Amino acid sequence: MAEDVLAPLAGKVLSVTVGVGDVVEEDDELLVLEAMKMETVVYAPADGTVSTIMAQVGQQVEEDDPLMTLG
Amino acid sequence: MKPYFDTMDPFGKALKPGRIKRAASSADALREVEAGIGEAVTAAHEVGFPTEKINKRGWMTVYQRLEYLVDAGTWCPLHTLYNPLENAEGTTNVVDGLGQIDGRWAVVIGFDNKVMAGAWLPGQSENILRATDLAARLHIPLVWLVNCSGAKLPEQEKFYANRRGAGTPFYRHAELEQAGIPVLAGIYGTNPAGGGYQSISPTILLAHKDANMAVGGVGIVSGMAPKGGFDTAMVEELIAKANAFTGRPPGDVATHHDATGFFTRVYDEETGVLDGLKDYMRAMPAYGATFFQAADPKDPAFPIDDLYHLLPANPKEVYDFDEILARLVDGSERLEFRPDYGPEVFTGVCKIDGRLVGCIGNRQGYLGKGYPEYADYPGMGGKLYRQGLIKMNEFVALCGRDRLPIIWFQDTSGIDVGELAEKAEVLGLGQGLIYSIQQTDVPMMLVVLRKGTAAAHYVMGGPTANRHNAFSLGTPATEIEVMHGETAAVATYARRAAKEQAAGRSLDPVIEKMNELVERYHETSRPAYCAQQGFVDEVVKLTELRRYLQAFTGAVYQNPTSICPRHHMLLPRVIRG
Repeated sequence: MAEDVLAPLAGKVLSVTVGVGDVVEEDDELLVLEAMKMETVVYAPADGTVSTIMAQVGQQVEEDDPLMTLG
Repeated sequence: MKPYFDTMDPFGKALKPGRIKRAASSADALREVEAGIGEAVTAAHEVGFPTEKINKRGWMTVYQRLEYLVDAGTWCPLHTLYNPLENAEGTTNVVDGLGQIDGRWAVVIGFDNKVMAGAWLPGQSENILRATDLAARLHIPLVWLVNCSGAKLPEQEKFYANRRGAGTPFYRHAELEQAGIPVLAGIYGTNPAGGGYQSISPTILLAHKDANMAVGGVGIVSGMAPKGGFDTAMVEELIAKANAFTGRPPGDVATHHDATGFFTRVYDEETGVLDGLKDYMRAMPAYGATFFQAADPKDPAFPIDDLYHLLPANPKEVYDFDEILARLVDGSERLEFRPDYGPEVFTGVCKIDGRLVGCIGNRQGYLGKGYPEYADYPGMGGKLYRQGLIKMNEFVALCGRDRLPIIWFQDTSGIDVGELAEKAEVLGLGQGLIYSIQQTDVPMMLVVLRKGTAAAHYVMGGPTANRHNAFSLGTPATEIEVMHGETAAVATYARRAAKEQAAGRSLDPVIEKMNELVERYHETSRPAYCAQQGFVDEVVKLTELRRYLQAFTGAVYQNPTSICPRHHMLLPRVIRG
């Protein structure tokens, strides 16, 4: 079942660690957001395969914006 | 109290291979800093004459004496790189730390007899006062290895006088004795003037056969009367007097053992003095290891080496503090105090070698929607908000009530700022925490895991703002400063930059100064600088942290000045509800 990974807080996308098709395990690093001068790593909420990546490096995202989808 | 303490709530999880891989470069960076500190420590050990030269004279070095005196595996050095006035000798010329002598914890300190026969140097009295303060706070014996030639005369103006000058330790010894804390001295070599008082001020004096101690040494006794200056004839007269002086140095064992009886015992061998110190340590009262154990000691459930992959070298990278703590405390178990309140700090009861301690640490990262509840901006761990400050105040007060020592872990960028934060009373709650800490009168130690910044460095058990901090440790990631260098550059130069622009002048000079300030902040906040200036008492490898926690806890519970029966404790009941 597809699952959207949402931004936990508003911030700038600093880096995206995975690519479409990558198989990830729960707690694997997906991307890094920069907010409040700190770098927050967004981890995989469950095992899956990265099917879509919406987040782009440098993009400003708001809280709860979808960042990528795990299939 | 088995239901509370035998097996507490387990926490932490094993590292995943992905995390190890991802943190590899960070781990390398931390180890590189540790290697640099290690080189500086080696250099500090090697100052002065080589060991072989000292041994050839029939003497042991201070390090050899320590090795013989202190139980193997228990030595926790402190102030190794402390040299606040940047002496050319590379040392304050005393070596100190916590160690066990025949199973009993003591603060041990000795003059480095490889450097100017153990002379007083600038910054040394501050170093010694840290040792006397430590013995007072932990209420454990202070053991001296005295071998002190007196003041380095050409620099006397830097340390002889003043409120915390070189004579201050003598009355601190008296204060320790008034508090029932014995000061033992093993005395070697020639100890004139300042060295004489270093020798006479402890409680029990054990001397090597060739030792002496005196109000003044041969240099003064054989000297000449002042005549307002020197010329060749006077210097030649001085040389003749010095060459003609054949008397024995004043205050040797014939005087101070046989005549005055100041020396309690005299030993023919250097090691005999150290064996004598061991005899006296054995003769002191001390609770056995099991007396205050609330449960059997356990190792943490996870390897301590994991810390290199859990504590990011990058000060901006978020991590999980709970995972750090899980590598340090017995069984990776805890009783967490108010887990649903003040999420930016962990507060809870843990065990070190089966003995109870209160632990407090900054959590990192985004704190969730709606927090802090008084603000319209997101809360990030590392910063302190109203709830976290209230929670720490409550926890500290309860630790004081239950007589639990406290271990603080700092990685803090400061207390929340702005009008909303002021209305939320953070200023008063921060100072309130300083008040709460003072009220406890329990020993505390601090580990500055990464950032120690702004007032938060003070209020979270920092050595600056209370009398209960026994010692503070730095790690390879430590950074202590009033604020980040970039923030300081903005605060210092923003208005000037605006003026320059308005005047139509180039911004380049201002930008250059801003970048210089950032660089200076970086250089003066890093681990080696913190150790040299005494912002921390020692920078330790991550893998050494638990050993220092064990030394602290063991020392605290050896001779406590007050106790709370476990079945009278309130904090565990408050936690369980």
